[in-house]
Amino acid sequence: MPNQRFPKVQILHIAPHEIKFILSETDVSVANTLRRIMIAEVPTMAIDLVEFHANTTVLNDEYIAHRLGLIPIRYQPPESMKGEDCNGAFLPHRECVCYERCPRCSVEFELDVSFDEVNPLRAEEELMAPLTVSSQDLKTNNESVIPAHFLSQDEQDEAQDAGVAIVKMGPGQKLKLKAIARMGTAREHAKWSPVAVATYRFWPVITINEEQVATLTMEQKQELVDICPDRILEIDDLTGSIKAVENAWELSTYTEDIKFHQDSLKKRKEDDDFVRIEHSADKFIFTVESTGVMDADEIVMSSLRVLKDRLNHLAQEVENLKDM
Amino acid sequence: MNAPERSSAFLLDEDSGEQKCVYTADTKVTNAGTFRLNKEDHTVGNLFRMQLLRDPNVRFAGYYCPHPLVHFINLKIQTNNSTVAPVEVLGSAIEDLANETDHLITQFQESIETWKRENDTEMTSQF
Ligand SMILES: [Zn+2]
Repeated sequence: MPNQRFPKVQILHIAPHEIKFILSETDVSVANTLRRIMIAEVPTMAIDLVEFHANTTVLNDEYIAHRLGLIPIRYQPPESMKGEDCNGAFLPHRECVCYERCPRCSVEFELDVSFDEVNPLRAEEELMAPLTVSSQDLKTNNESVIPAHFLSQDEQDEAQDAGVAIVKMGPGQKLKLKAIARMGTAREHAKWSPVAVATYRFWPVITINEEQVATLTMEQKQELVDICPDRILEIDDLTGSIKAVENAWELSTYTEDIKFHQDSLKKRKEDDDFVRIEHSADKFIFTVESTGVMDADEIVMSSLRVLKDRLNHLAQEVENLKDM
Repeated sequence: MNAPERSSAFLLDEDSGEQKCVYTADTKVTNAGTFRLNKEDHTVGNLFRMQLLRDPNVRFAGYYCPHPLVHFINLKIQTNNSTVAPVEVLGSAIEDLANETDHLITQFQESIETWKRENDTEMTSQF
């Protein structure tokens, strides 16, 4: 156990669909492993099998089946207020003992929409206009598992449709199908990925060489401050030197304007830099956005549990090698 | 059709006796060997490599994924002396990482709870 690290976590912001945090005192390899697991190895539900009973819409069966697969399917237990990790509540269908499928490994959705039946119920001005079949029309057999129609209230308020659009219908057209959702990971197909975005940025380390900066005139310092399009520097009113602005870590995009401009300010070209902006090797700013399948903080927690299980499994396998 | 099974990327082919982890000692270099980790990729490959390199007993650690269409990685390890075998350093590297993950889980739970308490927002999900 001699080489264990004790990383720190600082939360910047949490919303149901987004989490931002700072991970520090660890290595890029850990940050990247977390990112990769959130993208491809957190189990979620997605529609995987579709039985068509009637389809007279303009889109063919395969096209609709593909669109159904991409609809985020949310697991929200009855008493829960948030989208939760479905790992444990369901089994991957390949590991289930049932013959074909059962409630432990799958959820069934029914969809039955016919233009001619729905049209008379619509408002006067909408009569005969194309009808959008959306994720709202999918009727589940398990109330905890429903399509994530929208990501947020704002998105719902702005939307034209009732949910995720599947196909548009005209007079005389009909769509009737049964869709089966299963648990899986994005290693099999990207439709199982719980994240829209999972990225990290390196924390910027801004070092100011006070001795060098003291050799500059006030105008030259101002030049250096103004050359940076990210506005990460400012003149320190007290000392008359240069300092990084307080939220420089948020602003910095590592543009090289300062680096190139400061060379022209140097008396000799071998002189030390006035300002250096470097990537931190042990501090990362994460952004994770959910597709709606579960809350963003649940995705992070789930990814850690997946990593823990994986490491335990591999530790056991390596332990078995020692006995051989 | 000769398309491989979709699950061949992440499930061990137990019918043909595929093992998760196979060790082959190096025939030319002492205290060295290669671990073949089936159904693993850069996610754990790079994680193990970087953790092994922090161990003073490790002289060399590297991994490669031979081709994007095969689903295993080879992890090569050489240790400093014959008193520690590659299997042992890998074992302790994984143990350290597992402990680090445990630490991260508690860190996250605490900071998420603290943040939600301090920011007292309606964290209710709308749908
Ligand atoms: Zn089953």
